[in-house]
Amino acid sequence: METLREYWPFLVPLIIAQLTLAITAFVHVIRHPSYRFGNKVFWIPVVLFISIIGPVVYFVFGRGDAE
Amino acid sequence: MNHFAVFFKKELKESVKTYKLLLLGIVFLILGIMNPLVAKLTPDLLASFLPEGMSITIPEPSSLDSWAQFFKNIQQMGLIVVLLVFSGVLTNELSRGTLVLLLTKGLPRQTVILAKYAAMLVLWTMSVAISHVVTWVYTVYLFPDNLSQNLFFATFCLWFFGALLLAVLLLGGTLVSSSYGSLLVTGGLVVLLNLLNLFSALKEYNPLALATKNMDVVSGAVAVSELYPQIGITVALILATLGLTVLLFRRKLV
Repeated sequence: METLREYWPFLVPLIIAQLTLAITAFVHVIRHPSYRFGNKVFWIPVVLFISIIGPVVYFVFGRGDAE
Repeated sequence: MNHFAVFFKKELKESVKTYKLLLLGIVFLILGIMNPLVAKLTPDLLASFLPEGMSITIPEPSSLDSWAQFFKNIQQMGLIVVLLVFSGVLTNELSRGTLVLLLTKGLPRQTVILAKYAAMLVLWTMSVAISHVVTWVYTVYLFPDNLSQNLFFATFCLWFFGALLLAVLLLGGTLVSSSYGSLLVTGGLVVLLNLLNLFSALKEYNPLALATKNMDVVSGAVAVSELYPQIGITVALILATLGLTVLLFRRKLV
């Protein structure tokens, strides 16, 4: 608990940044159901549970071309 | 020039629409927060892994450790993410055919290359700046010592190295017409620079030093002026790469 209190100036922005990334990717996966490969069932856990790398890989390789 | 401004603006708008800006911004923000945190926590982590009753002396972390993390992370994670994000920079539009329309309407080909490079540089500068500022703020907060010097110059060197890689990525895109191909060309350059580093005669002029000597600059082991030759070479290489890319792209059938 002591450590947590000491490090909140780091943890709060860190968690907010990671959540923003994960949620943006999640919303995109749901709203654009055409992917270069994979399907919804594959991409949802990837973007939600693999922090940083998951959303990056989705936007770079998985995102379909349709706007 | 008007063509350039219009196409440059279109590139920037597109990087917002394709989430490039958001991705880079957040990834580099996270890296920026992580650097000082990892430096601070490493001794505690090491100590907690040691078996009961054993003790080693771990030096107190300083601002130098925090910046060592910064340069390590930007160079590995940061540069890789940037190159991945930009890997389809030319090839996506060529394969979709959207660029052909603009070219047949009279958009000069060198404008395409230069505007794309400028847009990539803007995003890369933003990313490095975010990470640098965040790391700096937290480092000052956690380690209020005055051990680190020339921070701006050290980061500038790494930024320059990234600028070279981005120019080569663009060249790769013109050469091989696939995003994996342009990544491969850029990776090839990094391997080549590493090999060249084996020859001590070339070391003094190898641009790779801009990405490896950063900590020596920060700790004061290497003077700022010692890196001037490499910066000169890198400027020349970037200009040559851009020139070659424009030449090749003019002749390319799209």
